[in-house]
Formats: sequence, C-alpha cells, structure tokens
Amino acid sequence: MRHRWIVGAAALLLAPSVSPVAAADVEHGKALYQTCAACHTERPDALGPSLKGVVGRKSAALEDFRYSNPMKRANLIWDEDNLRAYIRDPQATVKGNRMPYGGLTDAKDVDDIIAYLKLLK
Amino acid sequence: MATRLQEVDAVMVGMGWTGSILARELAKAGLTVVGLERGEDLTPRENFALPAVRDELRYSYRLELIQDPALETVTFRHRPSESALPMRRFGSFLPGNSVGGAANHWGGQHWRYLPSDHLTRSHIVERYGAKAIPDDMTIQDWAMTYDELEPHYDKFDKLCGVSGKAGNLRGQKIEGGNVFEGPRSNEYPTPPLIMGESGLMFAKVAKELGYHPFPQPASNASRAYTNSEGLTLGGCQYCGFCERNGCEANAKAGPHVCVLPVLRADPKFTLRARAWVSRLSYDKAAKKVTGVVFTDTRTGEEYEQPAGLVVLSAYVFGNISLLLNSGIGEPYDPITQKGAVGKNYCYQLSRLGVTLYFEDKVFNPFMGSPGTQMVMDNFDGDNFDHSGLGFLGGCKIQLGHADGRPISYRPVPPGTPRWGSAWKKATAKWYQHAARITLSGSNYANRYNFIDLDPTYKDQLGRPLLRMTYNFVENDYKVADYCMDIALKIARAMNPTMMGPPGLRRGDYNTVPYQSTHNTGGTIMGNDPKTSVVNRYLQAWDADNLFIMGASTFPQQPAYNPTGPVGALAYWSAEAIVTKYLKSPGPLVHA
Repeated sequence: MRHRWIVGAAALLLAPSVSPVAAADVEHGKALYQTCAACHTERPDALGPSLKGVVGRKSAALEDFRYSNPMKRANLIWDEDNLRAYIRDPQATVKGNRMPYGGLTDAKDVDDIIAYLKLLK
Repeated sequence: MATRLQEVDAVMVGMGWTGSILARELAKAGLTVVGLERGEDLTPRENFALPAVRDELRYSYRLELIQDPALETVTFRHRPSESALPMRRFGSFLPGNSVGGAANHWGGQHWRYLPSDHLTRSHIVERYGAKAIPDDMTIQDWAMTYDELEPHYDKFDKLCGVSGKAGNLRGQKIEGGNVFEGPRSNEYPTPPLIMGESGLMFAKVAKELGYHPFPQPASNASRAYTNSEGLTLGGCQYCGFCERNGCEANAKAGPHVCVLPVLRADPKFTLRARAWVSRLSYDKAAKKVTGVVFTDTRTGEEYEQPAGLVVLSAYVFGNISLLLNSGIGEPYDPITQKGAVGKNYCYQLSRLGVTLYFEDKVFNPFMGSPGTQMVMDNFDGDNFDHSGLGFLGGCKIQLGHADGRPISYRPVPPGTPRWGSAWKKATAKWYQHAARITLSGSNYANRYNFIDLDPTYKDQLGRPLLRMTYNFVENDYKVADYCMDIALKIARAMNPTMMGPPGLRRGDYNTVPYQSTHNTGGTIMGNDPKTSVVNRYLQAWDADNLFIMGASTFPQQPAYNPTGPVGALAYWSAEAIVTKYLKSPGPLVHA
C-alpha cells in the first residue's frame, strides 16, 4: 500500500505543472492581498515581515523581523513554486512557522496573489 | 517628595480602551496628552505572536495578562454585617493589566445596550408602575438615551470592525439580525463569522419555537478591515483563543490593533508604562483636580504629573479607588443612602446553562470565536412582558462553540467521576459531541451592594484596598430560573441523546469560579449630583476638569457584555470635551 502511494505521488510530481489557463488577475490578487496586508505592512511594529520584493528573496531574509525558528531553518527561495505551495498550505510547507493563516484553497486565487506580489517592490 | 513633572494638557489614568480612545481624540484636538499605565507596555508583534500566545496554561490558569493581586486587590464580603477578606487570587472576575488593559484578554462580544436599558427606571415605571420596583432595587436611568448615543456606538463599531448582522437598520426590522436592538445607522462593518454546526442547530430550533436567533456581534473581524483610524484588522482564523489571550491574527479589536499605532506615532502623546497612579491632586474649594501622583513601579520613585484635564480610564476598581483615596465626592453609605461614590456596584449573572450531548453530531469545538454563537434576545431586558412574574430584567440565551480549549473544555455527562481513567475516557468520548446553551443575565442595582474602602487591608502603596460588599438577590435568582426554563424548553426540542442538569447558581455569590469580568457601577452617571458621580458627559460633579470613563459609570448592568457601551461612551465624552468643554471650561451640566 505504502509503495503504491509513493508511486502515485511521484506520478503527480511528473504531471504537467498546474499552470492556469487564464492569465493571472492582478487586480483580483490585490483584493485578496488585503487579508495579508492586515499583518504584512511597512509599519515598524507590524505582525508580519514586509513583502516588498519578496518574490525571488531568500526566506527569513529581513533583519528587522524576528522570524520563527522553523522559518529560519527553511532555507527556501521564494520563487513562484515555493510561494504557491506556502500560500496554499503554510503549515505543510514550513511546519511550525508562526503565520496565523490557514491557506488559500483555490489555485487561481493563489496565482492572482503571486501576480500581485511580483509588483510589490 | 514627589518629583514634579512638566504640566501637560491632559493625563489619562489607565491605557486600555477608554484611555486610548480619549488620548487619541484629545491629541487630535491639539492637546498634549500623557497616558499613564500601571502595567508594562506590550506589542502584538512581541506578545501576541504564535505559538506562545496559544498557551492555555500561561494565560487561562497562570493569568499572565491579569492584574497581580499581590500588588493590589479588593476585599470581599457578602453583606455589611461581615468582615471582608482580601481576594488573594482573582477568580470570578479578571481585571486586566498592562497597556491595552482588559481589552487584551476580552473575547470580543460586542453589544449595544437596548433603548430600554438606557431608561431602566423610567421605562419600568411607565410600563408596570412605580410599585413594580422593590424598595431596595436602586436602579436609575442612564443620563443619555440610546438615540443620543447611537452615533458613538456606530463610531466604536467602525473602530473595531465588528462582525454581525443588523436587525434594525434605521427603524427597519431585519429578520436574521437582532430585531430587538435599537435602530442602527449602519450595517455592521464586517459580516457575521461562519457559524458552526451547534449554533445552526440552536438557531433552527429557536426559530421553530417562534424566537429570533441571530449571530453574536463580535469584535472578531470576519475579514480584513481597514478601520476608522486607517489601521488594518486581519480576518479571524477561528483559533478559539480569544478570551484570556491576545489575538495572533490582528482580528480581535483592541487598543493595540485599533488605536495605539496611531497614538504612538503622534508627537503630542507620551506613553508612560509602569506608572501606577496612587491619587489625584484635588483642590476641593475650587472643584478642580490639578494633576495626578504616580509611582514608577521599577524604582519606587514618586512623581507628580500636573495636568489641565484628568481622565480616569482605569478599570472599574481603579476609578472608584482613586476617587475614594483622593477625597473626591461623598462615599456611599447603604444605611442613610447618602453619598454616591461606590454606589450601585453591579455584576452579571453569567455562565449559567445546560449542556446537551448528541451522540451522532460532531461539533469541532476547537474552532471558533465568541462570534460563532447564535443568540436570542426574546427574554432579555424588557423585551418580554414582566407582568405578574415578580422580577425585572432578563437574559440573553445563546449556543455555539467559542473556545473548546484543551484544558478547560472537558464536557462530561452527569455521573462521570471527577478524575481517573473513567473521566479520561468520557472526556475523549464527548469532546466532539457536547454543546452548551448559556445564559447571561442582567444584574440590577441593590441598596446593599456597594464598594467602599477597607478598614484593615492595604495595597503595596499603603492605600486602603477597596472593599466589595456584594451578593446576588432574589430578583437575580428569579431571572435565572425563568430564563433557564426557556433554555430547557429549547434544549429538549433540540432532541439531544442526553442532557446535563440545569447549571444555576444557588446560595451566596461565589468569588472563585470565573463568571465574567463585567463589574460595573461605583461612579455612576446621572442627572442629580446627590445620586450620581458624573453627569451625562461623564464629567465629575465634584471637579469639572475630571472625566470618568468606563463601566464604573453604568447605573446597573443589563444582560449584555459591557465593552460596546464603554467604547461608545468614550467617544461621546470625548466629543463633549472637545466641542464644549475646551471652548468654555466649567461644569457642562448645571444641576
């Protein structure tokens, strides 16, 4: 059983990547981002780290934010794939991180947010 | 000898909800403001962050956000004939400490009082006659009507991003909201939270029985919301750690999320934490306060902060204590019924209820917030006819899972042992399958329930402790009995596998188990200086530059949680100070 499950998972990984048919909607991404912006602001006392320039950045890279230990150890580059996985299920991607967010289930929503994040510079 | 600091325009004593709101409004009007706070400073980023904030042992049992009774507590007795003893551990109620005050650990149930709650005495006299009010029930009207306060209720809603559904929008009744509420000028800032299975089951049955269930209005924003100060709240994550804990998601409204970031950035405002105010400097002849004296709790050094305007924005007990320990106003005497400071101390009938067990239902009680409850107000206040019932007031009746936390939430059917393997087995079996209908009832003032200074015990600064003389009275027990019958009727109609016994309180008030931090009265508002401490603008009758905030100004306690009106009154008083008092300082009401 276990063997078959692993084969199944490998097959999934080999499947064509889930690229959306429609182009990502930046405006929709901006609207969805309001939920993130409640914590990810530029204020010095913000609950979350700034997301300006996050796309392509190394994880736990900002010096003025106290990241959790799991995030410090994650050693990820926030490319599209990693961001997609993290926004979909933060705890599955970086187990034990302290972002209080359950994740976004809709793949299109995730792509829209990433499209918006790319504009944050 | 106290070190005299430079005079400022206004000083706040206590930096919870009301101190933060008043400081903001006065600084906005151009005043220099100092905010003094007995406890330490906190920030959500450092103090309310995951994973530490979801620590039930630390916050619910070791009470980390709560006032330390070793420094200052109250003494308690049930009746004037007894000697009072100090409460060495807070239980029944939990006064907050530190910047943010009790709003750091409130759950977020956010109400407006009923229009009839604002006119408690005159409404009852008009409907049932003066004889309906027992001689020892010292209820009074509020000093402003619901309609007068409505714009300020609205303003506080918009500060907090309250989630809920209107039941009365500008006079139009809306099914699904609370049809008993006063007219609202606006819908709630954010929609109701997603309701759990238990709340929906309760609502369905209550509706079938002809009642009007609606979602609990809560200062747990249901989605990201930018408030009236331009600050953002996050959407609630349904973690169930609202009450007793700080909010990890910026979703529970409080001064740290809703006001303080703006205040901290304002050069007109200075925050001094660990500054414990011991007394006000009072010029009795001039009827003015000239400032406050505080002790730096790190060094023990005493400072005097002169100020043109003093705002008492401490908890109920702090406000009363500072008046009594500064010789402001006449202490209340229950024998002669003269004096008003300490009068009409009230509490709340809470955590009454009945637990239902459903073998075939799964409730996921670990997900929720106070906003994931359904409530009905058919038996609240004077929403029902009291003729011939022999009591006044009522209860809100509700059901929903708000906080199924691992230590405290262990529902087990009657007959289960209190410990051991049988208890463990039962808690595992029933955790997912139990739901409790709860009642929260009004508490009308009684002549013999009051606060004064204790003759024996002192706090760490050497001041006499407050002495609470309090007990539930016949009216309270009758309210609870009557509303419990309604709750049992609903419970049976929900058709559970089994039911626990009705959880009522009998005998004397017990200060040990938690009931609510809804202590009210002691510096009550009114239109007559003989029977009240502050006028309709919350300005002290005995010092025109002293304003007193918070639930200590409530003449009695309705069935609802007090924070909504506390915030509304803060805005109401701030507006009077800015638009009336600053233009011509002096008494705003001539009695």
